[in-house]
Amino acid sequence: MQSPARHTWLTLVMAYLAAALILAFLSHSLPRMLPGDFVTAMYGSSDVTLDAQQEAELRAYFQDDSGFAGFLGRLLRLDWGYSYTFLAPVSTLFFDALPWTLVLMGTAHLLSSLLGFVLGVEAAWRRGTRTEKAGVGIMTVLEGIPELCSGALLLLVFALHLGWFPAAGAQTAYADHTFVQQTADRLHHLALPLTTLILAYFPGNFLLARAGMVMVMKSPFVLTARAKGLPPVRVRYAHAARNALLPLVTRFGLRFAFMITGALVVETIFSYPGLGTLLFNAIAMRDLPLIQGIVLAASVMVLGVNLALEYVYTLLDPRVAHAS
Amino acid sequence: MRITINKLTVQYTEDDHSLLALDRVDLHLTPGRITALVGESGSGKTTLGKAIMGLLPDNATVQGEILLDQDNLLDFDEARMNAIRWGTVAMVFQNGAANLNPVHRLKYQVAEPLIQRGTPKKRALALAETRLTDMGLAPELADRYPHELSGGQVQRGLLAMGLILDPPVLILDEPTAALDAVTKSFIADVIQDCRAQNRSVLLITHDLDLAGALADEIAVLYLGQVMEYLPGRHLMERPAHPYTLALARAFPTMDAVRDLGGIRGDAFYRMVHAHAAENGTAHVHTHVAAPDAYHEGGHAPPEGCLFKPRCTQAVPACALGQVEMEITPDGDHRVRCIRGGIASILEFEQVAKSYGRVTALHATDLTLMAGEVFCLVGETGSGKTTLAMIAAGAVSPDQGNRIFQGRDMDGWMEKDPDSLAPRIGIIYQNPAESVSHRLTVFEIVAEPLRIHKTVTDEAALKDRVCAALSDVRLSTSPEFLKRYPHELNMGAIQRVCLARALVHEPDLLIADEPTSALDPSVQAKVLKMLLTLQIEKGLTLLFVTHNIGLARKVADLVGVMAGGRIIESGPAARIIHHPDHDYTRTLIRSARGVNPSRPAVSSPL
Repeated sequence: MQSPARHTWLTLVMAYLAAALILAFLSHSLPRMLPGDFVTAMYGSSDVTLDAQQEAELRAYFQDDSGFAGFLGRLLRLDWGYSYTFLAPVSTLFFDALPWTLVLMGTAHLLSSLLGFVLGVEAAWRRGTRTEKAGVGIMTVLEGIPELCSGALLLLVFALHLGWFPAAGAQTAYADHTFVQQTADRLHHLALPLTTLILAYFPGNFLLARAGMVMVMKSPFVLTARAKGLPPVRVRYAHAARNALLPLVTRFGLRFAFMITGALVVETIFSYPGLGTLLFNAIAMRDLPLIQGIVLAASVMVLGVNLALEYVYTLLDPRVAHAS
Repeated sequence: MRITINKLTVQYTEDDHSLLALDRVDLHLTPGRITALVGESGSGKTTLGKAIMGLLPDNATVQGEILLDQDNLLDFDEARMNAIRWGTVAMVFQNGAANLNPVHRLKYQVAEPLIQRGTPKKRALALAETRLTDMGLAPELADRYPHELSGGQVQRGLLAMGLILDPPVLILDEPTAALDAVTKSFIADVIQDCRAQNRSVLLITHDLDLAGALADEIAVLYLGQVMEYLPGRHLMERPAHPYTLALARAFPTMDAVRDLGGIRGDAFYRMVHAHAAENGTAHVHTHVAAPDAYHEGGHAPPEGCLFKPRCTQAVPACALGQVEMEITPDGDHRVRCIRGGIASILEFEQVAKSYGRVTALHATDLTLMAGEVFCLVGETGSGKTTLAMIAAGAVSPDQGNRIFQGRDMDGWMEKDPDSLAPRIGIIYQNPAESVSHRLTVFEIVAEPLRIHKTVTDEAALKDRVCAALSDVRLSTSPEFLKRYPHELNMGAIQRVCLARALVHEPDLLIADEPTSALDPSVQAKVLKMLLTLQIEKGLTLLFVTHNIGLARKVADLVGVMAGGRIIESGPAARIIHHPDHDYTRTLIRSARGVNPSRPAVSSPL
């Protein structure tokens, strides 16, 4: 029993390593296909006028001819390169921005998944009631609104018009705060982008959980659970919802793949100093090393999350372990 | 604890109509007794089980009473109902593994009711393991997930789960469906243990063998109505309702020797729905129809017997009034049938016939029940044909009475032969000699209709003839209708004879050696067709043959004739497997064929 299982895991890890290699290649080559270059982007809109020779020298300076092999070699030495724009190591820039994105996106994901799951399960349980029907209607409408739209509206109403929330940034700069004050200040800044993201993610989770739950509730084992005289909450969660969880977990994993793009829109709207804003700037400036670094790190994160999910699936549903 | 169900009616409402799943069902579950509920799929068996558990879906409307001792469960709210579930009334649902949660281990699911009622987890799991071991599941199986268990193991697990709280009332829904014989017999033992432990057991099943062997009382359900209550041991041997008989005949037992016969027609659902009538008021009515085409099904009358369209002994009166339960004369059965259960179609009382000094038939009593196939077996000259022809009304007996469908046959024949003759069809031994060579196929089949002036209009006559011919799978093309018998092979002529016998849609068909002139492959085809028609038309068949091997493939009942007497008669299985009479044994032994290891019989000369 032991050896085939290890074999399966080994195959799995090999597959993921191969995928990582392909991703590395893509993140190396794809950004190079962007039209324009750093020199044009940097000096095109500035007052500085370059003559042909200066321009050629600058181009030669900001040219990376090392090819994929060189790129891979540097990666293995944990050398991510040096940003042209910010004149700082890419890794420093990345790890400065990462916590902000993680806080924003992680909270949004967790909250919307948990809320979506619980409310979806409860809605399915109350199927056919007026509340449930209204809930499904509202969620379907919300599901159709992109975060670009809801984000802009929230910004307009609550930050610019009402002024309840700050319109930009993740914290008040240069303020002398105690830890509690600082936390409150950061939450205050977080509120609007977080709400935007929850509005974007929650309806999908709700609808998915509800649909899964409605299907599961038709299963004979749920009737058996009721027949066993178990408390309704137990029937709902230990028996029914537990089996409706799998698609939700899948969605959670898939959403991670959109983490950077999701962040890109929302962080840009609210000028939030996360990976999204960083990537946006990097692309605008054609800062190749920075783009490559962010894209690669983000895709490796998605791979890692998927690998973790493979394991979580087997914990959630013993049948998955037998499927392979 | 006992459960008393009084006039339980359950309707499922769907959009503008509802399905009548149970219709005034009475049932008693008594401690130490097994009550079985049998019937086709869709007859409402499972609905009854769920109704007792209070687990009917939201669209169900329930009327009547389900008494647990004195308390009406239908008055209980959800919390009170939940309190008696599993501890007082437990149910083992059908479809095995689907009833187990795929993400929890078997042991845990069995122990769960205990844990929820306050038993410490460790002890509950240990108890569950003991229960599972009692059911013949090894401890390592108890730790598995449902998808890692076989169907039999799952069923054992479900039983262990049902019994974990030691409930006084246990409902078992198809506990042996899709199981192998060994597991099935183990589960039968467990059910019998439940009786010994003084539980009230409701066994819902379509396994008649199991129901017959285990149940103290059986209720036979058809379209939500109980058709018959009978003692379990009578199910296969002595059913009183035509539906019960048909079910029993369709069920494969080790004893069945006859080819399995289905029940003619299909079981539909009972729809209740309202129309706006012309005067604007709503007109609510019930009718029987297929679920997908309930308006095309026609509006069957809301009264009369539900089984009438499929019954082998229906009379016009069956369509009238409410059919109530009646106790049969022997007192053991209660049937919902205005004819008091399976009726006799033909009775002989001391009927005898002699030709000169030769007594062809000694004084004989015989009863043919509607819808059954009775085979007369015996060697040539034993009086089979004489008896068959007397039954057909073609030969008059010297003494004794013949009663056909409750009327004296001789009197009927004298007064109104045209109404009697169409009710009896005959097929003769030698097809070639039983048709006139001067008549075409059309004229042969049309002749009975003309003689009895049943149909006078030529077009209608042609329709009837063509219908009869297509029943026996013969061509109805104009060329074929113009053929003469000598142009046909023997098998086709016998089918023409069968069409002629059936053209009046008789109630009784008498077939005298109908296949002895045919070669075996044609014989097999004609026989299969005959039996199919017997079921589809609901015929009673008196089948005469010298071949007991053939009889066992055809007959429900066999009568063995020798020397002008019926020396032995009874269910085919018993006669074939446990014959009483030496002559029957000889007959069976000879039918086994020429034994090559036996020395050749030398000529007496």
